[in-house]
Amino acid sequence: MSDREKNERNHKVVVPIGPQHPSLKEPGSFKITLDGEKVERAVVEIGYNHRGIEKACESRNYIQALYIIERVCGICSHAHTSCFCQTFEDLAGLEVPRRAHYIRGIVGELERLHSHLLWLGVASHEIGFDTLFMYTWRDRELVLDLLARIGGNRVNYGVNTYGGVRRDLEPELMEDVLHVCDLLEEKLKYYADLAMTESTLIARLKGIGVLLPEDVKKYSAVGPVARAAGIMDDIRVTEPYGVFREIAVNPVTDDHCDVYGRTLVRVKEMLEAIRLIRIMVKEIPDGPISVRPPRKLPVGEALSRVEAPRGEDIHYIRSTGADAPDRVRVRAPSEANWHGMSHMLEGFQLADVPIIIAAIDPCYSCTDRAIHLIGDGVNQLTDWAQIRALSIEQYKARGIDPGSIKIREF
Amino acid sequence: MNTEETILALNQHFPALEAVSNHPLRIFTVFTTPAAFEEALHFANLTLGYHKGKHIIGTDEGADIGISYILSNDEDVLLVLRERVPKSAPNVRSMGELYPSLVLHERELVDLFGVQVSGLPEGPRYPLPDCWPEGEYPLRKEWNPAYFNKQTVTYEPPKEEDAK
Repeated sequence: MSDREKNERNHKVVVPIGPQHPSLKEPGSFKITLDGEKVERAVVEIGYNHRGIEKACESRNYIQALYIIERVCGICSHAHTSCFCQTFEDLAGLEVPRRAHYIRGIVGELERLHSHLLWLGVASHEIGFDTLFMYTWRDRELVLDLLARIGGNRVNYGVNTYGGVRRDLEPELMEDVLHVCDLLEEKLKYYADLAMTESTLIARLKGIGVLLPEDVKKYSAVGPVARAAGIMDDIRVTEPYGVFREIAVNPVTDDHCDVYGRTLVRVKEMLEAIRLIRIMVKEIPDGPISVRPPRKLPVGEALSRVEAPRGEDIHYIRSTGADAPDRVRVRAPSEANWHGMSHMLEGFQLADVPIIIAAIDPCYSCTDRAIHLIGDGVNQLTDWAQIRALSIEQYKARGIDPGSIKIREF
Repeated sequence: MNTEETILALNQHFPALEAVSNHPLRIFTVFTTPAAFEEALHFANLTLGYHKGKHIIGTDEGADIGISYILSNDEDVLLVLRERVPKSAPNVRSMGELYPSLVLHERELVDLFGVQVSGLPEGPRYPLPDCWPEGEYPLRKEWNPAYFNKQTVTYEPPKEEDAK
């Protein structure tokens, strides 16, 4: 008897979702077997975004490979290059200057902020809380603007290089980093309070997508998914690297083991990121920001890891002594968190599927919104005021005049 | 179990693995046969407490395919256990029962290196598309992306007379 015949006899329905994701702008396919509204079985099919990055690195030199690695992910690009550079530096025996470690740390924590803010917005949208979605994405712009000023780009900042960083932080920019931290802290405390008291949000997120501590170990889940099950899994603490050898991280854990727990962990981690950024900006030492790396690596292999916003990121390089890697392997944190996805979905309602999937914060590539052209005087960067003016124009064209609505300046 | 204790236990029970550490939380071993590897993997899981399957790295070793399994324990030590199989008969057994988190990586070995993994649970292929040509394994060194036609999804290496 075929699966279809068995399902028909048992009154089961298979709902294919995808390959376009039910909520996020990424390709992924899910075959959900339903018993009424309840998910009985879920088969996850991914791989639509496979781009052959590892093969591409093998046929290019190390400098070219770094540019490819930066594009593994549009959200945590800095985490990937930090890990790849760390692996290279480990093999080359390079001593990275302290100031470079601090700059890597500041950019890394800014990246964690924008990644978690993006996630909080997506999660809010999934549960129909679009006001919070708009608030968090507005706040995220502050961080993206800072990152654009540091590296010249909103998502692939190009800050890292072998032996250090390519961009220094001027005192004026660091003042602005602190100013944004002050603004964001106020907002984040409000969101944390909201997450802990708003009954609709709690009712919608609590008790769904459960992954118990034993399941976290079984499926090797990482990052906020593991920490929301009470497991202290943070590479910045268990294997401190770079600036985290000097500055201690207070890891955030929670024991809800569900989507609500993952929300609380991420919101609290943003407050911790702000604390870390303030310390790093205050204690950043003077000195060089990079040392000259070798063009070729000695024969050998190295395995390195960093704590990306989504969890443990592992990179591997094998060198045969040439100027190009013999083998590159990237294990992004999302790859680790997919293993437990079927288990997280089974037993819950069909309506919970999008938010359960989104709760692992699966990685997708996002693109630049605008480009700032240097040199010819043409500015294509659309700022907040221009976006607002454009939206008002658009509404007026539809016969609605939102001009009379007073919006508080942020 | 920390790095030193693990190395001691491994070298005592499996001296052929030549377990060494070049980093406080890393243990590397040499390539071994599938039978010896499986024994060591079970020992690492059941006796040494390496219950987390982190990662699998396939490598092209010329006439062989190298497979490195990266495991971890509660102390977050990364243990790399390895096996080597000939390209002509790349057959291994799935470790998915011991490590469900490695199933996806084993599917990668099937698609990208052409390793035949017996005992893999039913499920979709990963990560190549369904239309990918049979017998083409892109992470083998002899596979050249220049000969891959993206329009027709076919691999078209030059014929011997053309190369001459």
